[in-house]
Amino acid sequence: MAKGFYTDTTVCIGCKACQTACHQWNELPAENGGRTELTGDSYDNTVRLSAVNWRHVKFIEQINEERSSPGLLQGSRWLMMSDVCKHCVRAGCLEVCPTGAIIRTEFDSVYIQQDACNGCRACVSACPFGVVDIGDDGKAHKCTLCYDRLQQGKEPACAQACPTESIRFGEVSELMQLAEARVAQLKDQNVDAYVYGKEDIVGGLNSFYILVDTPEVYGLPSKPELPSHNVDTAFELSGLAAAALAVTGLASFRKTRMDEMAAHADSDGTDD
Amino acid sequence: MPLWLLQVMGTNPASGVALPPRWGWYVILYFFVGGLAGGLMAIAAGLDLAGDRHDQEAVRLAHRLAFPLIILCAILLIVDLGRPHRFWHMVFMSERFPRLIFKPWSPISLGSWILTIYGAVAFVEFLGTLADPPGENIGDSLILSSPRATRVLHALQRRLVPVRERIRRWPSAVHSAWKIVAALSGFALAGYTGVLVAGTSNAVWHNARLMGALFLISGTSTAYALLTLLLVRRGRTAADSTLRKLGDGDLWAVAFELLVLAITLIALGPLGRPFWSGGFGVVFWIGVVGLGLLVPLARHWVSLGPGERAISRAAACVLVGGLLLRFVIVMSPQYPRVPLWHL
Repeated sequence: MAKGFYTDTTVCIGCKACQTACHQWNELPAENGGRTELTGDSYDNTVRLSAVNWRHVKFIEQINEERSSPGLLQGSRWLMMSDVCKHCVRAGCLEVCPTGAIIRTEFDSVYIQQDACNGCRACVSACPFGVVDIGDDGKAHKCTLCYDRLQQGKEPACAQACPTESIRFGEVSELMQLAEARVAQLKDQNVDAYVYGKEDIVGGLNSFYILVDTPEVYGLPSKPELPSHNVDTAFELSGLAAAALAVTGLASFRKTRMDEMAAHADSDGTDD
Repeated sequence: MPLWLLQVMGTNPASGVALPPRWGWYVILYFFVGGLAGGLMAIAAGLDLAGDRHDQEAVRLAHRLAFPLIILCAILLIVDLGRPHRFWHMVFMSERFPRLIFKPWSPISLGSWILTIYGAVAFVEFLGTLADPPGENIGDSLILSSPRATRVLHALQRRLVPVRERIRRWPSAVHSAWKIVAALSGFALAGYTGVLVAGTSNAVWHNARLMGALFLISGTSTAYALLTLLLVRRGRTAADSTLRKLGDGDLWAVAFELLVLAITLIALGPLGRPFWSGGFGVVFWIGVVGLGLLVPLARHWVSLGPGERAISRAAACVLVGGLLLRFVIVMSPQYPRVPLWHL
């Protein structure tokens, strides 16, 4: 049975407990030697998922543009979302990895075997969600769904640390039922919520979200495709190009010879 | 609109937000040199199949260059890895050595095997050039300048010449089949690098379905140009039949490249902006389109100077354009807002 995360962004309070727990359990190093560089982008100072940030809390400020008007917060909202590897049902990174370093575990999660990774970075460009990154050690890194904890019957550190149950861990099918019920509840409250990560998103995500705005607002793609989606077409078109070059090349090589032979025959005839 | 055109252009572009894979000059140079090497092998096979005795110098040049170029490709790729000493993981299962790993649906895995097969073909052809009398081919003077290398070359020749004579007596169908395999391995090498680019989740690259075709054509065109340059340097004149054949072949290649590039830009629409706008756009329009495509095309109708000089200039433009094409395609979607001087 597939294990995964259900992240309800409507109850995320941006406390970053998940990020901290992930760092602590996985002994992830600090960035910039521990020096904090303020980005000026709300409360976000880690910017994105990376080789050392396997969880990343996004802060999206949607403030009414008419800031001088009374009731500034009317129509404004502050969205927060704890992002993580999606452990895709059909994972682009796993698909392209040429060394076999990326595997699917018995929990249906996607895991990078550090012993086998050679840092070719194919997985980095293959992930449509911008999750996989190369670390200073030259190898690819991302969330492991706390594979070591799962093997001990524990839940991932981030889910355990989340104080509002914005992040829940469990069987994906059960989590999806919970999510559907929550979406129905939110719709009753006139919140335009939906589940991001059903089968329409690259065959389904084992780590899915409840969102209340378009995916792009959260930095997620609305129409991701597997990296291999266009590969067959690209190869077929390359074959066509090769055929065109072969035909025109052979014709050029032979045509010139024919022209010369004709010219030679003409000059022989003239000489006679 | 015809179905194939819809397939090429796509109707609803995908919108992946992949991180940049941090491809830099090693990858750009690999794509360029790989295209050259692939094109050389394909052109040599074509000249062997359809050309005449006079073209054999070009064939020998291509065969002498292909193997060193593929070694250079391998070095560039290995140096680019985060863990270079693990390069063999591309072909062997590291935990279950010597079992092989092959994922044909992954362009990078397929490419590792294309590189291996091409390397084997190029090595055989390279050995063939070593059986030629020393002094005729490119690089011979380098070998002959060292007494030890000369002794090794002569010892190799004593063994290689009888083998080559035996192979020459094989049926012509076997020779033709070998040349077709060589050409296919060359086209595969030149083209797969473009498919590798399209087989990512970067929205610009991913939606450029013609990237494999573009790289294949550009690689072949640069190989035509390199052979042309070398033949002119070796004293061939503008009236030389081999140069005319290569010129005709390259005219087609440059025309195809222009067409495929135009369709790619139209198909990408606003997504293709990183290629043609800003600093990269200057390089693209002046370097790739102007210098690399329009000037070599114009040579066939407008005088670019006397005879061989015009041919050499046009060939040099094709080579520069081919390198800049890969620079723009690799770098601009990764760093669309970074000024060129900060790369």
